[in-house]
Amino acid sequence: MSASANFVTIEGRSRGYRALILVLAVLTLAGFISFIVSYVAGHRLFGSSNVIPWGMPIVMAIYLIGLSAGLHVLAFLIYIAKQDRYREVIKAAVFLAIVLIFGAMVFIALDLGRPEKFWRLFMLFYLNNMSSMFAINAIFYTSYFISAVIYFIALMANMKRFSMVMGMVAFGWAMLTHGGTGAIFGFIEARETWFSSLSPFEFIFAALSSSLALLIVLLVFIYRYTGRNLKQELVSSLGSLVKGLLVGLLLLMVVGELTHIYAPARDAILYMLAGPYSWMFWTLQIGMGAVVPLVILYHPRAKQSTRWVVVASVLVVVGVFIKRFYLVIPGLAYPLHLYPGKMEGVWGAMGSFPLEPAEIILSVGIAALLALVYALGFKYLELLPAKESAEAKTEEKAPQAT
Amino acid sequence: MARWGMVIDLDKCVGCQTCSLACKAENNVPYGSPEEHIRRTAPFWHKVFAVSHGEYPAVSLDFIPMPCMHCDNPPCVTVCPAKATYKREDGVVIQNFRRCIGCKYCIVACPYGVRNFNYKEPEEQEYFRPDPPPNRDDRGVWPYPRRVHGVVEKCTFCFHRIDQALRDGKKVGDDGVVPACAEACPAQTIYFGDLDDPESQVSQLLASRQWVRLREAMGTSPKVYYLLK
Repeated sequence: MSASANFVTIEGRSRGYRALILVLAVLTLAGFISFIVSYVAGHRLFGSSNVIPWGMPIVMAIYLIGLSAGLHVLAFLIYIAKQDRYREVIKAAVFLAIVLIFGAMVFIALDLGRPEKFWRLFMLFYLNNMSSMFAINAIFYTSYFISAVIYFIALMANMKRFSMVMGMVAFGWAMLTHGGTGAIFGFIEARETWFSSLSPFEFIFAALSSSLALLIVLLVFIYRYTGRNLKQELVSSLGSLVKGLLVGLLLLMVVGELTHIYAPARDAILYMLAGPYSWMFWTLQIGMGAVVPLVILYHPRAKQSTRWVVVASVLVVVGVFIKRFYLVIPGLAYPLHLYPGKMEGVWGAMGSFPLEPAEIILSVGIAALLALVYALGFKYLELLPAKESAEAKTEEKAPQAT
Repeated sequence: MARWGMVIDLDKCVGCQTCSLACKAENNVPYGSPEEHIRRTAPFWHKVFAVSHGEYPAVSLDFIPMPCMHCDNPPCVTVCPAKATYKREDGVVIQNFRRCIGCKYCIVACPYGVRNFNYKEPEEQEYFRPDPPPNRDDRGVWPYPRRVHGVVEKCTFCFHRIDQALRDGKKVGDDGVVPACAEACPAQTIYFGDLDDPESQVSQLLASRQWVRLREAMGTSPKVYYLLK
């Protein structure tokens, strides 16, 4: 509790910080221009098609929701498990969660064919079809966003009891939110690769591990560039949390994929596991994103080293992104089997997904917007604990979010 | 209330694609270039695809004309968040462009891949069509004179023709007013009518021939039936 009263801002006048803000602002502008162009010209500028209707914005949206939702496990650890050592990072983490869920909602809105009608998603029970997982998730996302904001305000105002209550509410909504996001995919029977009741839980485990990993990376960088001393013990305890969650995620994935393969209608899943893009699954997602981090985090010496834990965390953050990409894009590529026999021509061909510049610039631009907001947050909000020894705040730099 | 359905005789279909063209002309479905067709961004409300069986010399080919299945349990209606797609009382599944927000969830959820996203602003006057054509009075107003990009489109069973015919007191289905694809087919492959009426041509055909519906295991209960060869 000693640290909670002494949160400070950074000064934000260094050359590095200004350069970072400038670069992020330019990228954001590029993303905005890209959005306007694609809005006027239509989604033909994107890589999506009638076979793979969802592209990078949806990948980014579900990835960011996961990153955001998982951060609230810290609230659970502090208030229920009484782990007071996480208190010094809770403000930075909750602010990050708010920025990320905001970014996810921006991505969803920009992926709509008619983004000016996004408000229709929030006309709950009135203009909405409440059997749609999208409409149900609109409840989850908005209430999660609101509860996280209230929680953040309570934290900033040092309301101890209320922030505990709001922390638990935000944690609950976060789990519902990301479970609901998994249900968007898992409830679709028409897609063999998606149809799975494990999907919500898989999403939650992926969310928790990737967001804690992201938090480790960000904290180590922010603390280093602002000249603060991050306790090694904090990093390795977060690392062991990531480890446990990764094991859970792997277990769910094995069970889920085995269920898919066991059924005779396994063509689409075989395409994902052994098709031309399966290297992405085996090397990037399983190898680099899960096995290597697990080896590092189980290694008796490496798990005590901040450097190795950061390496493992970066791999997890990238690996979960690949997991999302692989789910949305190659997961839809296998053609629907409409009639017995071999479907000829384009109707039976695998879906293709060219990485179009408009889509990439848009995604990078929104990510830069989030990093910009997060970096500015450190300047204007008291997010970081005060330095223990040296009071001089000469050298500082803000983080690169996502 | 009638329950409109379609019966397609695969024994008669020669794969000439007249139905696909008639649909494009009737509903003003945007033109797509060959590149767009290969990338699958060209919209087709009605398509004919070929299915091959076996290897040369023991090979056979089936042509499957495929409009929207107008399911009795449409997954697209379940997942649409904006009530943009809905099932009418007569069983026709309709897409309302003004409500559609373009989230594409229905394209993902449709087991038949009959839904199309409008990827670009269609050009004016794509097809030659005297406007208004001299003998269009009996077919109702042109339903889609203009389009916007960014919404999902699909086959409507030419609901504008059905509605106009009912207003005028004409017979719908069989030898009366039928959708454009059924009207244009030179081999009279496509039959349209009331599935609930035991006297209708479609009911008689279904009672006398072997039929299948596509992807029956999905439980969608489509209203497009295929008579086998």
